[in-house]
Amino acid sequence: MADNDLLTRYNYDEFIPEKFQPWMQFNESPPLGEPAPDFPLTRLDGSAVTLKEVVSSHTYTIAEFGSFT
Amino acid sequence: MNALADRVAEKNVASTFIYTYEAHPGENYLHLTSMEQKLQHAHDLRDKLGITRDILVDTLDGACHRAYGSMPNMTWIFSRSMQPIYKSDWTDSNSVSNAIDYFLDITDRRKDHERLAPFHVERLDYRNADREAFYKGLERNGPKAVEEFRNAFG
Repeated sequence: MADNDLLTRYNYDEFIPEKFQPWMQFNESPPLGEPAPDFPLTRLDGSAVTLKEVVSSHTYTIAEFGSFT
Repeated sequence: MNALADRVAEKNVASTFIYTYEAHPGENYLHLTSMEQKLQHAHDLRDKLGITRDILVDTLDGACHRAYGSMPNMTWIFSRSMQPIYKSDWTDSNSVSNAIDYFLDITDRRKDHERLAPFHVERLDYRNADREAFYKGLERNGPKAVEEFRNAFG
């Protein structure tokens, strides 16, 4: 489990540049064509799955990241 | 994106929506403080927004989201070997559709024993920028979300 400071900063409580801009680091994201990192995720029924489990069972996987807006 | 998912599902293409955080927390959808709350928001994405793709929920600290660049609405396409082959810092269904059709054609060309080698390409794509529709989305989250976005970007 991450430390509380990280949880608070990541799940910011107001949309102001000082809080949301530090997280936008797409230029430092994993490169194309190389194995990418795996992470645990949770299905809506509460069961655990990993990104790799999803990806490795299909020819291709489209993953959209998002929220309500 | 739901329609695209339906179109390519029979070609063994998985389509997932990874719920990350509340980019625009408001009175109706507060910033996240627990995994239970995060799962409830994810259920609402399915039940109220009508996302029909498999919804997967990131950890509360956004470990997956942060590792992939933390953009609020980005899309990645992975090959079976866990290699990203497309990444976009914003989501546009036309762009994703164009890309997945290209990769499915690559699969067909490989079946035909064509020798292929990867190379990198950069391209500037275009997304819908309907500000009025975006504000309607913000209103779902509450007046606070609308006001904060207006203060940030006008």
